[in-house]
Amino acid sequence: MAQGLEQSPDSAIGHLLSAYLHLARRETGPATLAFERVLRIDRYHPRALLGLARIALEEGDLERSKDLLDRALQFYADFPEARALRDLVESWSASTPAATAPLTAPDLEGASPWRDLVAVRLDGTLISARAAGERADRLATHTTRICQVASATLGRAGLGPLRRGLIETGAERTLLWSDGGVILSATVDAGVDSDDALADLGRLRNRLGLDG
Amino acid sequence: MSEPPTPSGSTAEGAPGVVAQPRPGRARALRETLAGLSRLDGVTGGLLVTPDGLVIASELPSRYPAEALAALGATLGRELEVADERLGRGPFTAACFAAEDGTMFVSGSRVGFVMLLGASTVDAPAVLRALGDALARLD
Repeated sequence: MAQGLEQSPDSAIGHLLSAYLHLARRETGPATLAFERVLRIDRYHPRALLGLARIALEEGDLERSKDLLDRALQFYADFPEARALRDLVESWSASTPAATAPLTAPDLEGASPWRDLVAVRLDGTLISARAAGERADRLATHTTRICQVASATLGRAGLGPLRRGLIETGAERTLLWSDGGVILSATVDAGVDSDDALADLGRLRNRLGLDG
Repeated sequence: MSEPPTPSGSTAEGAPGVVAQPRPGRARALRETLAGLSRLDGVTGGLLVTPDGLVIASELPSRYPAEALAALGATLGRELEVADERLGRGPFTAACFAAEDGTMFVSGSRVGFVMLLGASTVDAPAVLRALGDALARLD
């Protein structure tokens, strides 16, 4: 690929292929550079705009993502991938919590044996977490994003709002419980029975009196 | 000018080789794997998408908006993957999300993400096991 681009440095397709190869290896930095090279050749290339918008979304830069998607949709109004992400960004932006949002603080301290237990509103407002400082914020942001994107995807598929989630990572499982307004998330060892754990999480939610 | 061009100059679905550039045998194996997973009890169909959201293979009934689901599914897959670096969790393998009217599965692989859609009554642990087995064979 590098050899080909040396011979044809102005090939938009070549740089786009390079970007996709980097993305396949999850190398977002080099992929970003390659997409930007495409845009230097064709400033409205929709696939490059979409690729950069997805990376911006991944990095939490909603404004940049929105701008890039708007540029793609300006010339290709029927671009379904860009439209789906634009709608997602729109709903995401609309639900960004105010810094002064009032918090309630149910006590999660007694709720064992969970790790990374977090209660968060769907708009990203942290209600409470059994984690300190920055980690609590990272947990809240991650949990909210997962639920927002999963809800948008389920919605597009016509399956309705998200209710439960199970994420397998290494030797752990993270469980999600949502009523559409509040999300409760906790992590357990992979060996723990998922149904039992979800039932426990539901009971915890009731005990804490969380509702949307 | 309403149809966005793709790297291959055809449709998005015509661009699978862009990322994975699979050999014919491997491409067939990917499609067969997806087809097999889509035939599991309670599963209505599935997609194989690149990390950038391009459709590599689709086994979804036509009523589903495959391209939109691919874009969202890849975004979801990446969010699940980056939890490893942001939260120090292990590498993402698979997830399932249950809604009122159905269930969605997402699993990571070297090529991209596998998405499956199913009924709300689907046997989620069985599908997750099948996904894990199938992707382990491919990777």
